[in-house]
Amino acid sequence: MQNVVERVLNLLIYLLESPVPVTADDIRRTVLGYGDQSDDAFHRMFERDKDLLRSLGVPLERQALDIWEVDFGYLVDPDKYAIPDPGLTEEERVALSVAARMVRLGGTNAGLEGLLKLGGAERGVGIEPLGADLGAETAVLGDLFLAITERRELRFRYHEAKRSLKPYGMGHRRGHWYVVGEGPEGERLYRVDRMSGVELGETRHAYTRPRRFDVKKAMSNHPWEAGTDERITATVRFDPEVAWWAGRTLGVEAPEEGHLDCEVPVANRDAFIGWVLSFGEAAEVLGPEEMRDEIRARVDAALESSG
Amino acid sequence: MSSPRTVSRLARILALIPYVLSKDGVEVREILERFGYDETQLTKDLNTVFVCGLPGYGPGELMEAYIDGDEVVIDAADYFARAPKLTSTEALSLLAAGMAIVGAGQASPELESAVTKLAKVVMPDAGSAISVDVSGEPETLERLRGAAADRNVVRITYRSLSREAETVRDIEPWAVFTTLGNWYVQGHCRLVDAERVFRVDRIRRLEVLEEGFERPSGIPEPGVTYSPSDDDVVARIALSPQAAWVLDYYPVEVVKETKHTTEILFYSPDAEIPARLLLRLGAGARLVAGDEVRARVAAIGGALRDRYR
Repeated sequence: MQNVVERVLNLLIYLLESPVPVTADDIRRTVLGYGDQSDDAFHRMFERDKDLLRSLGVPLERQALDIWEVDFGYLVDPDKYAIPDPGLTEEERVALSVAARMVRLGGTNAGLEGLLKLGGAERGVGIEPLGADLGAETAVLGDLFLAITERRELRFRYHEAKRSLKPYGMGHRRGHWYVVGEGPEGERLYRVDRMSGVELGETRHAYTRPRRFDVKKAMSNHPWEAGTDERITATVRFDPEVAWWAGRTLGVEAPEEGHLDCEVPVANRDAFIGWVLSFGEAAEVLGPEEMRDEIRARVDAALESSG
Repeated sequence: MSSPRTVSRLARILALIPYVLSKDGVEVREILERFGYDETQLTKDLNTVFVCGLPGYGPGELMEAYIDGDEVVIDAADYFARAPKLTSTEALSLLAAGMAIVGAGQASPELESAVTKLAKVVMPDAGSAISVDVSGEPETLERLRGAAADRNVVRITYRSLSREAETVRDIEPWAVFTTLGNWYVQGHCRLVDAERVFRVDRIRRLEVLEEGFERPSGIPEPGVTYSPSDDDVVARIALSPQAAWVLDYYPVEVVKETKHTTEILFYSPDAEIPARLLLRLGAGARLVAGDEVRARVAAIGGALRDRYR
């Protein structure tokens, strides 16, 4: 590992200091640490080192050296390499460092590692007994964030179907990350943990974000509000022993005694029925009748396979 | 792929050099604390920096890096005058952490200004494109957090999901945290005289008592893990692909995987949780074994049939 660290530092220095793109052959001859390798070993090593540089946030570019695109060279533009200075005070860095220790993203330390690039912070005092894990696939989240900030199109699979999206924003709510954007059929909301095979389009600034776009407004509060089903209003009754809890979830005042009847807008029937059934026999959809039919069928199916 | 240790070592070196270069003399003590080094690692990294530089790699081309008395010295490294840009994951993690606390109404003015400055730099034209909301039950949460900070015992009326009954318990709250969209309080429950984790939204009433408590040292990292015990109900369940999300939400053990089904063992203190889950999954799951759970599915299912007649 000692050798890897030295070699990569030397490579980065060489790339930062070269005024023109340099070829792999040139690097092999010039940079300390690459000599005495077979062709294969060099290429494997060089590929790994390039990946390593990119994972550190180094904007390593590959450029054609002639108009026929036969020879390629590598380049790191010092201006693109350098972190823009947000002008944080030491107090602000300490506050961010405390925040990054209190709120994590899927158990990684990426926030604290990022803070080092901004100058780090001497240990803050008074860490509160509060913690949050906004857990999810961090690599995907990073890619989505990149797509949003650089306005690049997304392609991915969602429930086995292929989708494309111009992502406008992303957000975390109730334990899940969502991405919102414009798809071929209009504005859409997707749950990040259900996305797979995420690919970013090559073109930057491929679309414009609507002025005044606010992801908070675009994201719904409950899982059953996010969906593509025809929007309906369901009436549901919660028995007295669970009324307070259901009322809290829905944000309505439950009576001190007696049951609670609520009207709930639903765009994802499956999610809504699942939630109602999680109350067991203590909740009942009173209407519409089609939803009662669906629940009846669901209960019958469960009794058939597990009752 | 290079090892994560190599990556973090390089990342720290590339952050360290510009920091030292920007100062007129930095104490070793400060560097250790600021960059989370111990002295051996710092010396090792400085020695590495010392042998790297421009082609030629003679004394005139290499960087200078060493400890002089109680100061860290780095020189002849102008190309590293600035740290590399944040990766998108680093930028999002840092921003999301700050925004979560701002959104929860817990932020100091320094954190608020830090988030604003950071957002301007990492997403200059993305304005309100990112939002992080971890808020739950503001009122209960606030008081619980206060009690945890002041070390006050709290008396809660709690409705457990599995027991379907309300209990009144005195607990010593150690930590309040959120994961998977729910808020939890972790602490010592005096009713059972053991460590427990409670879901905040299931606390119906909360009373902060005058009585204080001693917070034990070495508290385990808060988390919602469920360790099966001998008294547990065990159900063996076959999940179809559309029910695979269950794997992400419950502490289950996968025993068999085929192309079309995943068979799991589902442990819980009683039959209620798996029974409700099976009803909710309908044809998406099948109970393979577990008599207690089967009886509970039949009972709840029967009652639901009556309601939906």
